[in-house]
Amino acid sequence: MNNNEIVSELENIVGEQFVSDKPEETFLYHYDFITAEPEGKCDIVIMPKTAEEVQEIVKIANKFKIPLVPWVSGINFGSTATPLKGGIVVDLRRLNRVLEVNEDDMYALIEGGTTWAGLQAYLGKNHPNLMAGVTFSPPGTGVVASCLCYGMFNLGMLGGTGAEFINGLEVVLGSGDLVRVGSCSLSDYWYGRQPLPDLAGLFIGWEGSTGIVTKAAIKLWPKLPFRKDFVLMGNTFDMGIPVLLKLSKAGLGICDIFVFSYNWIQAAIGAYEKKVPLNPLKDNLPVFISGVTTQAYTEKQHEAQCEAIETISKEGGLTEAPQGISLDILPYQAWGAWNFSRGGGGEWIGSYCSTREIIKYYKLARETALKHGHTSQFYSRLLFGGHYCVSRFNINFNKNDPEEIESARIILKEIHEEVSSLDGVVMYKAPKWAHEVYEEKIYPATYELMKKIKNLLDPNKVMNPGHGWGD
Amino acid sequence: MVGVIKIFQRLRYMKRMGLTHVDTRHEIHKIERHQDLEHYKDIIYQCGKCGTCRTVYQDADWAAVCPSGEFRKFESYYLGGKNLLTWGLTSGKLKWTEHLASIFYSCTVCMACLQQCQIPEIHTYAVEWLMAMREEAVKQGYGPMPEQKLYTEHTMVENNPYMEKHGDRLNWLPSHIKQTPDAKTAYYVGCTSSYREQNVAVATAEILNSLQVDFRIHPNESCCGSPVYMTGQTEKAKKIAEENVKMFKDAGIEKIITSCAGCYRTWKDTYPNKFGLNHGIEVKHLPEFLLDKLKNGELNFSKEFNMKITYHDPCHIGRHMGIYKPPRQVLEKIPGLELLEMKRNRHNAWCCGSGGGVRSAFKDLSAFAANERIEEAKETTAEAIVSCCPFCLNQFKANIKNNEIQALDLSEIVKQII
Repeated sequence: MNNNEIVSELENIVGEQFVSDKPEETFLYHYDFITAEPEGKCDIVIMPKTAEEVQEIVKIANKFKIPLVPWVSGINFGSTATPLKGGIVVDLRRLNRVLEVNEDDMYALIEGGTTWAGLQAYLGKNHPNLMAGVTFSPPGTGVVASCLCYGMFNLGMLGGTGAEFINGLEVVLGSGDLVRVGSCSLSDYWYGRQPLPDLAGLFIGWEGSTGIVTKAAIKLWPKLPFRKDFVLMGNTFDMGIPVLLKLSKAGLGICDIFVFSYNWIQAAIGAYEKKVPLNPLKDNLPVFISGVTTQAYTEKQHEAQCEAIETISKEGGLTEAPQGISLDILPYQAWGAWNFSRGGGGEWIGSYCSTREIIKYYKLARETALKHGHTSQFYSRLLFGGHYCVSRFNINFNKNDPEEIESARIILKEIHEEVSSLDGVVMYKAPKWAHEVYEEKIYPATYELMKKIKNLLDPNKVMNPGHGWGD
Repeated sequence: MVGVIKIFQRLRYMKRMGLTHVDTRHEIHKIERHQDLEHYKDIIYQCGKCGTCRTVYQDADWAAVCPSGEFRKFESYYLGGKNLLTWGLTSGKLKWTEHLASIFYSCTVCMACLQQCQIPEIHTYAVEWLMAMREEAVKQGYGPMPEQKLYTEHTMVENNPYMEKHGDRLNWLPSHIKQTPDAKTAYYVGCTSSYREQNVAVATAEILNSLQVDFRIHPNESCCGSPVYMTGQTEKAKKIAEENVKMFKDAGIEKIITSCAGCYRTWKDTYPNKFGLNHGIEVKHLPEFLLDKLKNGELNFSKEFNMKITYHDPCHIGRHMGIYKPPRQVLEKIPGLELLEMKRNRHNAWCCGSGGGVRSAFKDLSAFAANERIEEAKETTAEAIVSCCPFCLNQFKANIKNNEIQALDLSEIVKQII
């Protein structure tokens, strides 16, 4: 492969200032810089400004049969934006405009590289009565990428995963064709994916291996005048989880329910892992710390909702945090979570699963972590009115220490094996090794269908090779 | 339960400050400042290039904060990129190149990125390795940038980076300014006010006369060394510092008042903390000095100054030294003056684009930053953008088009109403 020739053709598309094959630029794309997943190699990085430029880039990748990796922040805990087989990283940060906000149907039409900070900024300034979700990921991460990879946010009880917030997509396929899916394929309204065949599924959960999304409409929600963030604490998960499940099915204007373990809270605020109790249960510390957010339109409604939440919590043995101690920072980003070890490394086993399995998931993962001398950093969020949940267990490490990285890999795989014994546990943003586990387990005809779809949308296999399904 | 309560007490969000000032300081690794690159290599990789450093954290509509990154776009130019390039270098994954050096020099060292980073050690110390990288670039022969090298050579001979003659330094000084030959207080004018923004020098001297302050201007005053130090040329800057300290100590100076933000930072912080020159001279920036006078009743504003203005926080007194209130407190005391804040202000202020050697070496980046700030100032409907730094002032004047807004120094306003 002659990089100079490719670089020259890419420069003709976007201008030379937005293409680089210099190591001082490409170094920052070759690795996630947080996880224990292996490094890759970025040969060239390019920053397009329009969907048309993306199409031209894809054509060049096909011409040279060179891999193409869509990228916004390069951070996700499966390292699915790491270019495992080299090639061109398409950094979408210049495709970052909010193109439209439809207040009637409550959605924002945004470009593929829009960050959470960018969307929040736009809404705060122009549509203060509407809100987008807020993830626990940093503000510089991508909205569309997060939704496509089943990220979730603080409106999860209302709308489910980020994927369920997607109304429609504009995508450059691996073949270079530009398609639109959803109501936007027939009109200029991006109100939803219904009632057409739901082709958004060709791009959701595929980890950038079927196309590059250049536009997406994302659901917004009204910001109601009355809101309260409850902090409910209990001694154990056995005590606390049933209360949260009861609350999730009680209505009560709840837009978010989640639980942190004691150590996860400490990670999130940037404490130092070596200075906190390894096993808080042994010290009789309450390990169950949950957050419940409720909204209401009127004060009377709000009071009634809050009273019901308080009653259910009290009956279940949970204690509301004392006056003056509240999660009034919500929504916030859990910026410290990966850096708990002060080594800048962290990776999770994050899975969607049945709400029946939360306690078992926590205990299995906790025991494995403790066995290896790691704290128990667990987090779970109930989604879509309590229909399902996400559960996650973090392991931190020093990413400058090869032995610690190797050790973290072993522990993560062990936790994965343990929690996968529970019915219905499936990892999201799954790294390559987890995909290999699922590919053996999945219904064979389903996997064959995935391969056919992948082949149809990306005939030259240029899209994010090494990641996603049907590779 | 007490342990959990303590956690939540520390977790509380503080308006306008995000989580920045949450009490996690006892968890921070203790790191010495002003060390060489080797000293920081085990802390840099805490960064995950998460991008939090790119925008104001939970405030100011999450507006962009990094001139260099916003102009060049590549991750390398943001703090996250620079952290990890530093890691790449110290861990042997990358090598010094001209391009690597130019990335690190394409930074005004405004420190707005640090304010946003929520990782305690990076939030507190990242500027140390940004400066250490510049020092290392010089040691390796890749720094400073050619234009910076040129002005440094001139400074070492003529004591200013403006390619002017040292003998012309006091040409700004009008005959009506009264100096006290044996005064213990010196007005340290600085190069920009001496050669480019002479109105600031005249105004400051007139203010001091009006307040009947016994002061003098050292006849051999020279560059403080800031433009040399900020471009990684530590040894040369230290030599300048030593000569300056000796000169002022020999002259019996016990207090310096300066109207320059860069000189203030250099005398007050760099000399003692980087160069170990504990000169014992009290250093006051003009707004601090004026505020003291206002508080003790020696200064009153008798006239009105009817203008809507917005205040631009200079990086060298703001984020570098933590001075945000005194200039505003002085401005708020001025009858008729209406102070309008820009969206990005105080610790989130957007840099004017002139510091860190950027204005001389990267003129396009520098102009981009200035124009962004001028547009932000215009959005407030202010008639003037006011600062306390002649370098910021000079930068704004050079970039304001068609008199769309005025640029003023605080001293120029105070002089008119005193």
